[in-house]
Amino acid sequence: MFGFLKGMGITIRQLPTKKVTLMYPNERPQWPERFRGVHEYIPELCIVCYQCARICPTSCISLSGARDDNKKMRIETYDINFEICILCNLCTEVCPTNSIRMTSQFELAEYTRDGLYKNMDWLYHNHVEHGSFRAMQAEKERAAREELEMPVQQKSDDRGGDK
Amino acid sequence: MTSTLHKEEMILNLGPQHPSTHGVFRLVVTLDGEQIVDADPVIGYLHRGTEKLAEGLQYTQIIPYTDRMDYLAAMLNNYALVHAVEYALDLEIPDRAEYLRMIVMELNRVASHMVFIGTYLLDLGAMSPFLYAFIERENIVELFNEICGARLTYNYMRIGGVKWDATPDWIDKVRRLVPMLREKVKMIDNLVSGNEIFLNRVRGIGKFTKEEALNYSLSGVNLRSTGFRFDLRKVRPYGIYDRFDFDVIVGENGDALDRYTCRLREIEQSLRIVEQAASQIPEGPVMGKVPKMIRVPAGEYYASIEGARGELGAYIVSDGKDKPYRLKFHRPSFVNLQILRKLLIGQNVANLIAILGAVDIVLGEVDG
Amino acid sequence: MFAWQNTPMTGLHLLGIIIGAIIVLLLVLITVMYEILAQRKFIGWIQRRIGPNRVGPWGLLQTAADVLKLLIKEDVIPAKADRAMFSIAPIIAFVPAFMVLALVPYTMNHVFTAGMNVGVLFYIALSSVSIIGFVLGGWASNNKYSLVGGMRSAAQMISYEIPMGMSILGVVMIAGSMNITTIVADQSHSQFGWYIIPQIIGFIVFLIAGIAELNWTPFDLPEAESELVAGYFTEYSGFRFAFYMLSEYVYLFAFAALATSLFLGGWNGPILPGWLWFAIKSALIVLLLFWVQATMPRMRGDQLMSFAWKVLIPVSLFNILLTGLLSLFV
Repeated sequence: MFGFLKGMGITIRQLPTKKVTLMYPNERPQWPERFRGVHEYIPELCIVCYQCARICPTSCISLSGARDDNKKMRIETYDINFEICILCNLCTEVCPTNSIRMTSQFELAEYTRDGLYKNMDWLYHNHVEHGSFRAMQAEKERAAREELEMPVQQKSDDRGGDK
Repeated sequence: MTSTLHKEEMILNLGPQHPSTHGVFRLVVTLDGEQIVDADPVIGYLHRGTEKLAEGLQYTQIIPYTDRMDYLAAMLNNYALVHAVEYALDLEIPDRAEYLRMIVMELNRVASHMVFIGTYLLDLGAMSPFLYAFIERENIVELFNEICGARLTYNYMRIGGVKWDATPDWIDKVRRLVPMLREKVKMIDNLVSGNEIFLNRVRGIGKFTKEEALNYSLSGVNLRSTGFRFDLRKVRPYGIYDRFDFDVIVGENGDALDRYTCRLREIEQSLRIVEQAASQIPEGPVMGKVPKMIRVPAGEYYASIEGARGELGAYIVSDGKDKPYRLKFHRPSFVNLQILRKLLIGQNVANLIAILGAVDIVLGEVDG
Repeated sequence: MFAWQNTPMTGLHLLGIIIGAIIVLLLVLITVMYEILAQRKFIGWIQRRIGPNRVGPWGLLQTAADVLKLLIKEDVIPAKADRAMFSIAPIIAFVPAFMVLALVPYTMNHVFTAGMNVGVLFYIALSSVSIIGFVLGGWASNNKYSLVGGMRSAAQMISYEIPMGMSILGVVMIAGSMNITTIVADQSHSQFGWYIIPQIIGFIVFLIAGIAELNWTPFDLPEAESELVAGYFTEYSGFRFAFYMLSEYVYLFAFAALATSLFLGGWNGPILPGWLWFAIKSALIVLLLFWVQATMPRMRGDQLMSFAWKVLIPVSLFNILLTGLLSLFV
């Protein structure tokens, strides 16, 4: 007969519990390491193999490259259309040099649809601002320091990727 | 004195923008007062042509599209496709991958049922359970975020295994989460299940029998609520479901209340599976030996799993290429929706919401 | 100047009446403003959220911002609506809501209270005038949801008027007066104490019927969001919508005030000043309603009707019988 009283008891007991609201723009969510946010792109690493463009289920990546003076492929344009990108991570999965990665950046609001068409500069900027730029820089410095300390003959060149 | 009162039937368009059609679903109901004379579901507002798109995509590329079908249980959708391809290729899946799949799938089933309970009670006018259910679901979603980097569109499974191994303390987190979820589900249960208003509201409405359910080809909870013991996890164990101990929940009357309680009790069974899987999970690789280019041998293959809403199947017609010739998903929401018209005729508008909610459709899955 | 209730009318009295009306109006507007905020905060806390907190410290100005937004919004009248009725309906709903406040005895020295001899009847009569505003709004919108909402509202409010009136009858029988101020004064020296004690059945019936009158959860069928989008005010926006909203919350306050006066002894209470007792008691009633709102699912139309006619009316009749016996033998 009075089953609803039990429910009333439960709701009132929630009153002093800890609130779950995240004060969003002031307080940022903590994303785990694998979080798949907006891409970052590092042109130096790219070998223009077109694998990302080929695997992309929505064909939102378009890129072009040319051979430079050393007969190496250099990237010229790299665009991602975030209007149709579904952030599925397949492009980063196939990239042999990890030049396309995903950051924890998740805000992508624009006033125009054209604004969602992001080019290489924007993606690189995202790499510097929100991506792994700082971590890579620290890694490079550490490697450089180790190289200095190490004797010359033991130096091994196994940082591959250039073929 | 005899005089004939002029009466007119009213056609009411419920949706596609309506708070309780759970997405872009339109229902054209003909009303006589508040009585429903006819109901005509109109679907297709969220149609993205997944099946047609799939014909131009490699099997791996289709996986992110399956996320978007039943977006409340994307892990199960992932598995439906991956399972069908693995079945066609006769692949060997590493044990750890299988266990990880079981854990995420059952957790996803729990999350999906949580959404059902929350939104269903919201449809019936109770506000708080909706938020409580979502707060608890958030824990599961956060776990998924940790293992695969997304909260809704996971794209976690791959043909031959899973994409990522669990992070070092992920399994521990799952183990800790299970008792907590159990407690919270009980709380939500206590909150409404004794409430007379709720019980009177849903008892006896939207009723169908076992035969009708079978004639309409219903599956999942909609079928089990009539007392028909049919759960693909038991009837035709796929993956490693035969290693776990769990019960198939069936109802008695096949009404909306039964469907609600069935889902509530199914959460408990799913949590049991998660608990067992999390304690038995072995070490090892998470990706089996898979050819670099996945080519399904020419032929037709159908494999189905028990999705959150019923039998979720993938039917592959292959001509031996790396892309399917035709891919058809047996989408349980779409099939379950067919009985709606029959259930609605003769009811009133308030019951319409309760019946539609209890069928538990997800428009991404209905429209495909 | 304020003794207009028992001396002949003069110009000064008229001034006093106008000042009194303005003070009550402002008081009620502020009350309603914080009532809405309290609702959102309280339900938010129950739902493990924090509620509005952006406008002003702790969101104290949230309602003011909302009302301002509604006032400066474009005034939309649907093309197929009945313009005249569409515009007048919110006013019909809103004016009686404010008029009933004339009856509320806030303190012992009730200068701003109309000590009307038919006070209780006046409340019931006026609150049923509002129904016309709701039905008219639903009809004039020329929207099917609105129409269904308006019809539901009429059916529900007319049905629940009866048990509400009959539950008040018990109080009237004990106090021997329909004047609300007399009823409150009577409770300070009545042998029963506050009337909630002899009239507990009446109080429960009054509470349930009152919740139904207010279209409050679990009886919020006329504006059932999940079924009828917003019920009779689906098509309303801007300040017309604000009028409907305002009348709803003014009624909420008026209902709490009436319940306090009739059953909880009004301003009576030890130590604290009378107005504070009144505020505390009516705030508790309002919070109770918020609590119910946070917990309950909605009832169904036919069950709602059968509940009124088959349960509440017999119970309130029985209560009248009991009260008659009580006043006969005690």
